[in-house]
Amino acid sequence: MHTRRSFLKGAVAATAAVAAGPTILVRDARAAGQLKILQWSHFVPAYDKWFDPWAKEWGSKHGVDVTVDHVGFADVVPRATAEVAAQSGHDIHMFLGLASAFEEHVIDLADVVTSLEKKYGKPVELARRSTYNPFTKKQFALSDMWVPDPGNYHKEVWTKIGMPNGPVTYDDLVKAAPEIKKVAPQMQIPIGVGLSQDIDSNMAVRNILWCHGGSIQDKDGNVVLNSPETLRALEYTKKLYSVGMTQAVLSWNAASNNQAFNAQETAYILNSISAYRTAQDNKLPVLENYFFTPALKGPTGIQLASEHVMSGYVVWKFSKNQDVAKEFLVALVDASRDSMLGSKLYNFPSFYGAAADPGTPPPKKQESGAAWIAAQCNKDPFGSAPADKLALLAKSLPWSTNLGYPGYANPAEGEMFDTYVITDMFAKAATGAMAPKDAMLEANTRARQIFDKWRAKKMVGGGGKDK
Amino acid sequence: MDRTAGLSMAVPAARRRRGLRRAERLLGVVMLAPALLYIVLLVAVPFLLAVFLSLTNSSAGSLEFSFVGLQNFKNVMASPVFQRALRNTFTFTLISQVTVIFLGNVLARALLKRFRGKSLARFLILMPWAAPISLATLSWLWIFDSTFSVINWLLKVAGWLGPGQWYYWLGDPTLGMVAIITVHVWRMLPFSTVILLAGLTSIPNEVHEAADLDGAGPLGKTIWITIPMMLPILTVALLFGVVFTFTDMSVVYLLTRGGPYNSTHVLASLAFQDGVLGGDVGRGASVAIFLLPVLVILAVTMLRVSRRAEVA
Repeated sequence: MHTRRSFLKGAVAATAAVAAGPTILVRDARAAGQLKILQWSHFVPAYDKWFDPWAKEWGSKHGVDVTVDHVGFADVVPRATAEVAAQSGHDIHMFLGLASAFEEHVIDLADVVTSLEKKYGKPVELARRSTYNPFTKKQFALSDMWVPDPGNYHKEVWTKIGMPNGPVTYDDLVKAAPEIKKVAPQMQIPIGVGLSQDIDSNMAVRNILWCHGGSIQDKDGNVVLNSPETLRALEYTKKLYSVGMTQAVLSWNAASNNQAFNAQETAYILNSISAYRTAQDNKLPVLENYFFTPALKGPTGIQLASEHVMSGYVVWKFSKNQDVAKEFLVALVDASRDSMLGSKLYNFPSFYGAAADPGTPPPKKQESGAAWIAAQCNKDPFGSAPADKLALLAKSLPWSTNLGYPGYANPAEGEMFDTYVITDMFAKAATGAMAPKDAMLEANTRARQIFDKWRAKKMVGGGGKDK
Repeated sequence: MDRTAGLSMAVPAARRRRGLRRAERLLGVVMLAPALLYIVLLVAVPFLLAVFLSLTNSSAGSLEFSFVGLQNFKNVMASPVFQRALRNTFTFTLISQVTVIFLGNVLARALLKRFRGKSLARFLILMPWAAPISLATLSWLWIFDSTFSVINWLLKVAGWLGPGQWYYWLGDPTLGMVAIITVHVWRMLPFSTVILLAGLTSIPNEVHEAADLDGAGPLGKTIWITIPMMLPILTVALLFGVVFTFTDMSVVYLLTRGGPYNSTHVLASLAFQDGVLGGDVGRGASVAIFLLPVLVILAVTMLRVSRRAEVA
């Protein structure tokens, strides 16, 4: 006979079984290994469609349960901050550029990089400078890919003003702007170089600064923003703004320059090929006039552009799956060819050797990888017309550099980037909100505060020759 | 019944009463515990942590720090960006709250009347309050977009904007603040309207009828009856709105991200930029708690007013 007590007993036992079931399953999965990865939602959505199944497949081959979580690029740093504070979360965290501020909480990946170097040769220099801290001698991140940042120009408009191949120097932009207004009065912003508080503007203004001979820090980490070269860059931008830009560029977010170019509201922007791929996917009218130029030259002859994205994969110290995480990162570099194709040539391998033809002997791998990359760019497998439209990207390495140039991408440079000190300096000078010199001095004061703070934490060098 | 029997019955009764009192007290504690726990864990601890962090050089990527005294406060006070954000915070709060109370009053009065489609109107008025702010702000982002602004296109079609004329809503410091205040007012209006509507309906009809008999006009009734009787609830609405606006960063962050050139930041958004995005937690905390004295005064006033309103 069933009593109320026996019913209750049965109910408790059933509830316990139901509650424990998933735990038992989870424990089984854990026993086989688990890996949680957090990374951005790629600007070219096709990449995520390649990456997620690839990561899962890698996991199933190695008996590891792989989970991939995506966040918007703006949430990558706040999410890392939260996970560090909680000392729990994902095993692998992908940064877009500057992971250096989190150095203390990540494991040293020197062994991974060394093994990859043995296999594929050295990574590209800008990747090394973005993932290694020479001051603490720690390989705090691993870069599997970087993204070139060419100029995007409207062929028809630039042809009409006598520059069919687009601008070559920064001076060309100033000369072209009034002409563009004449031949394309419907375009709201002849030259679309962002001066706002966003990631693309942050890169654009650094390009202008470097090509005029200025920089935030020197190669040793001394603050050198207060310089005649910076002043020259600010005066140039003021001139460019007055002849070729509008207040719209002060409000742009990361997508705005893409949207403006794709809507044919501007004739020149600085961007990776993601906007172009969007135009292709949507068969936009701008497509036939969508062309690219290399980085522009400044009056100093310097021709440089910041990388558009630099992946920086870290493995948290709190991760219980560090060895698996390292294995995964090695596999990701091994898959550099698929990664580049998965991203429709947006991602460029940080280890060129990893894109080499199979069977190539190690000393020849870099050369072979570079040849394969060039072959993709020279004949775009994703339907560019003409097919060699992206050919210049294959030669982008000499004019691409890391944030923090001519030094390393250290945490002080990261804070300068994330708090928009340099974009503000340029915007204030360009709009006349401040005299260029005052804007420079204000930014220099803030730069020194930031660098001093990180030096006190013994994570950044220099200081003896601050200006 | 003899005396002993009476006593023997009284003792268990007293015990029962004591037991009941104890159980009630225990129940009270149990019922209050979740609220107290919530306040302690999610309000008091983070607040004390923020005060503590503002006195340190703590950074986002590190769990180590050292005390720097008031250095963070000295640094931020010397910063032109902070000074601008402080001014913006007061401007943002003052203008948006005055507008919200004024428009809320107009809407509440309109909703008191009977008209066709009143329930639909009520639903539409409440929509902004129910809509997720990130989603709503994205729509506003397009409305105010510097290149594709719908407002500008309408003004162009209406002939208000001539050739070459264009409003760069988010690219100009003043227009940027106008855009931010507009979205915030749109967002806060339903809350204010509902509170004021509740206040208006609580005024007995007899009072208005008596005033009519005494020959009071609409203005006289507003000044001598409606406003005094609504004052406690009006103050509560205003104070809630002020505290909410002082501490809000979502509209600024989603609409302008503090730009152009950090000119539209309020303290909350600047604290997020410096503390979370920039990784300087100590500096961010010092910006965030800078308005603590003002907010404490507001909170005390709010509590007093609500108590007075309760008594009334």
